Amino acid sequence: MWTYIGTGLAIFTLMMLAGILLRAAQAGWIPVDPGTFYSILSLHGVGMIVAMAIAGLGTLWYLVRREMELDERIAYIAYGFFVAGVISVIVSVIPGRYGSLWTMLYPLPFVGTYWPAWATGAWLIGNALVMLGFMLWCAQILGALLAKYGGVRGMLAIDYVFANRAFTQAGRKPPPPAMFAAAITAFDGFITGTVGLVIGTALLVHLIDPTVAIDPLWAKNLTYLFGHSIANLTMYMAVAGVYVGLPLCTKRAYHTSPQLAVAWWATLVFVIIAYFHHLYMDFAQMQWMQFVGEIASYLAAVPVVVVTVYGGVMLAHRSGMRWSLGAMFLYGGMIGWVVGGVGAVIDATIPANVDLHNTLWVPAHFHTYLLEGVLLFTLGWAFVNIEQRAGAVSNLMMRWLVGLGMFGGGALFVFSFYIAGAAGVPRRYAVEPVPGPLWAGVATAGAIVFALGFALCVFEAIRLMRLPKGEVAV
Amino acid sequence: MNKRSVAASIVLLATVAFALAPIFRGAVEIPIPVHHVLHAMMIAGAALAGILFAGSLERERRAGAPWLIVAMFAPVFAMLLMWPSEYSYFETHPYGHVAEHLGLMFLGFIAGYAGQRYANGIGWAAGIGIVAMAVLGVWGYGVAPKAMAPAPATMPSTASAAIAPPNVAHGATLFAQNCAACHGATGAGGAGPSLRNERVRKGLAAAEAWIENPAAPMPKLYPGTLSAQDVADVAGYVETLR
Repeated sequence: MWTYIGTGLAIFTLMMLAGILLRAAQAGWIPVDPGTFYSILSLHGVGMIVAMAIAGLGTLWYLVRREMELDERIAYIAYGFFVAGVISVIVSVIPGRYGSLWTMLYPLPFVGTYWPAWATGAWLIGNALVMLGFMLWCAQILGALLAKYGGVRGMLAIDYVFANRAFTQAGRKPPPPAMFAAAITAFDGFITGTVGLVIGTALLVHLIDPTVAIDPLWAKNLTYLFGHSIANLTMYMAVAGVYVGLPLCTKRAYHTSPQLAVAWWATLVFVIIAYFHHLYMDFAQMQWMQFVGEIASYLAAVPVVVVTVYGGVMLAHRSGMRWSLGAMFLYGGMIGWVVGGVGAVIDATIPANVDLHNTLWVPAHFHTYLLEGVLLFTLGWAFVNIEQRAGAVSNLMMRWLVGLGMFGGGALFVFSFYIAGAAGVPRRYAVEPVPGPLWAGVATAGAIVFALGFALCVFEAIRLMRLPKGEVAV
Repeated sequence: MNKRSVAASIVLLATVAFALAPIFRGAVEIPIPVHHVLHAMMIAGAALAGILFAGSLERERRAGAPWLIVAMFAPVFAMLLMWPSEYSYFETHPYGHVAEHLGLMFLGFIAGYAGQRYANGIGWAAGIGIVAMAVLGVWGYGVAPKAMAPAPATMPSTASAAIAPPNVAHGATLFAQNCAACHGATGAGGAGPSLRNERVRKGLAAAEAWIENPAAPMPKLYPGTLSAQDVADVAGYVETLR
């Protein structure tokens, strides 16, 4: 677990510095030529997703292993694929200067490029290697869950929901909440990985043999099915840590309920087709898909957020919980999940999407989701473990400083995106029109404050880890 | 042999017979989407046979890590083998075509068998995954977009607004002067790819767009050597190549 979480957080740190550089360049504080900007933006985008995914997979692997047997070799082999993929991506961006982002729109990586063809190839191969590692991981978890719970019915607690009385009277127990997150990640991750490999291989074939045609609308659908889904799955991986971490903080159990099971079913089905909201403005897309996309976007996110956050708040209510850094991060992550989710739901609403989708509103919501949601959940889970092991928590001053840095700086950072997005500043531009540079400056300041808070948090984690093993639980 | 092995053998033999069709039918032009569907059917049969075979054996899950890796890699190789170029050796020679089919079947079988050997249910997931890859290809892998509605009058065009319909004879002359060195005098290919049946992959507008903005190593001759009308004429000629 720590290999995965440590690697994820190390990649995150590098990508955060790259992100600060990008926003500072947009603010006009640092001169960065557009070609370099788009290369760094490509690296930053895919790097952040990979970082969060690797950290989340580590958390989830550990939690699943508490319940059932897993083969450690596969975790290391998958890790090897991730490392190889990351190296390939770095080669494509740094010497190769690839700059077409990870959710590129065909034929963009092949037409009018300023980077050599091999850089596009290295990019595609790197992404494919990461996907292969991810699919290995998903297949292992899926196999273990199916074996443990006796197939799909047991894994998804279908009998528990539809025949609750008979299920309970038979002395059977549904999977714990974290196993729903694992099941949905593994199941949808397998689908997402398959789709990612289809579009990745097709583009690679097109690169080698340009006579092989690719339908641009098909390519966009698959690219976003893959990209949108995997970005969302990083959240569901991290949520597993919440289901186990909060009970450790509050000393109350987080039980599976029929509502929780149904909410995860909704996510299971709808997260795969929620990406349709990325294609509302594609006139060639079939109209029914647009309406389904709006409904799916709501149903993928809202039920599971409501049930999980409600359960989390009820756990804390009058529990006498100590607000350690672990607890702060877990609850702070819930706020980030809700705020980012609301931003996503607004973007998924067709009349708003037309105005907001090509603006900084979209990076606003996914930065909230990843930075103030997924990252905080991951840190929260890590800190709960570290605090448990040390039998100690950070002092009040440290909690205030980290809190101000990561919540205050983070809020300043993401809200500058929202405001600029609402003002119509376009996304994915090296040079932004007014008022973009002003808000890029505010975002840079917020990101620097966040980074300082994050650095303090890392130092504090190291300090706690070096303490002798405590006997008193948090 | 138990019942599952017998069922697997029957499914596998039926699929092999299906895969041998090119030997008897010869080189017949089949639209790429239909081709993908036929491939998906072969892969499905082989994957099902693999799952049934694996089910007939006793499993030891702890020894299964290599099986899982094999099951995950098979779909990627299948996608590469489904390379939708009509002019590859595999597609133009019946025996090559059959070899391709057998390769796809092998990979489908491996996905189902190895996945199921690893853990019950994973063979189905890997089998459905590899079939889904072939099916997904129907809508865009090697398939040019359908002709779109004409662009609005206000939309700027890269070419001149007043272009006459393609003059195929003039296009042939230009082709001989500028394109034949790489694509062959008859468009059958050489250093560059074959352009025969290019109309299947690119419509006239797409062919014009490609000539105007080609990817390396094809030289960009427009604007300069070729005018907008020349581009239309060459594209019109290329569309006639069979």
